[in-house]
Amino acid sequence: MSLPKPVMRGLLAKRLRFHLPIAFTLAITAAIAFKFTVTEPRKKAYADFYKQYDAVKEFNAMREAGIFESVRPSGE
Amino acid sequence: MFRALSRVSTAGFRSLARTRTGYSAPLASRCYSHGKVETDEEFDSRWVTYFSKPDIDAWELRKGMNTLIGYDLVPEPKILDSALRACRRLNDLASAIRILEAVKDKAGPHKDIYPYVIQELKPTLTELGISTPEELGIDKL
Repeated sequence: MSLPKPVMRGLLAKRLRFHLPIAFTLAITAAIAFKFTVTEPRKKAYADFYKQYDAVKEFNAMREAGIFESVRPSGE
Repeated sequence: MFRALSRVSTAGFRSLARTRTGYSAPLASRCYSHGKVETDEEFDSRWVTYFSKPDIDAWELRKGMNTLIGYDLVPEPKILDSALRACRRLNDLASAIRILEAVKDKAGPHKDIYPYVIQELKPTLTELGISTPEELGIDKL
């Protein structure tokens, strides 16, 4: 039984035509998904933390813990 | 690779709006700003002529095959016939069998191409006494 002639040209172009849009879409989707599941929550967590951050209070807590050399706890 | 990409992207953008029924051969839709587009037949006959050179040397055979393998196509049986005869003139059986291996590799996942090519080349292979990699058992890893 004689085999019919298959398509022999442009096979890569055909494959790319199908797969490249999918690849780019998936890549961009992955980037967008990462942005909204990781970076935005992270940024929000930092922002929320620093919204109510009292630098002076924290400094005094650290001072009392005795970690500084330039300023000793208020007791000494 | 990039030529295939440009072919795909230009064709893709243009045909994005319309349906893809009866999409013609990508080679014809290459987007040159100027210059004639070579037809498939012209391409084939150019390569048949290249390998038909009576005093072709080994370098030209290798160069021709390497260039041909770089294209986004599986060479037509008539081009391969010409190349195999060039191998015969150069007494290079190894290259002849390697050409067959290369054709199988170029077909990639399309398993119907290689059997067709071998079918078309059978008379030439018999005439020139070239065994296929399968007959020699070197197609298995």
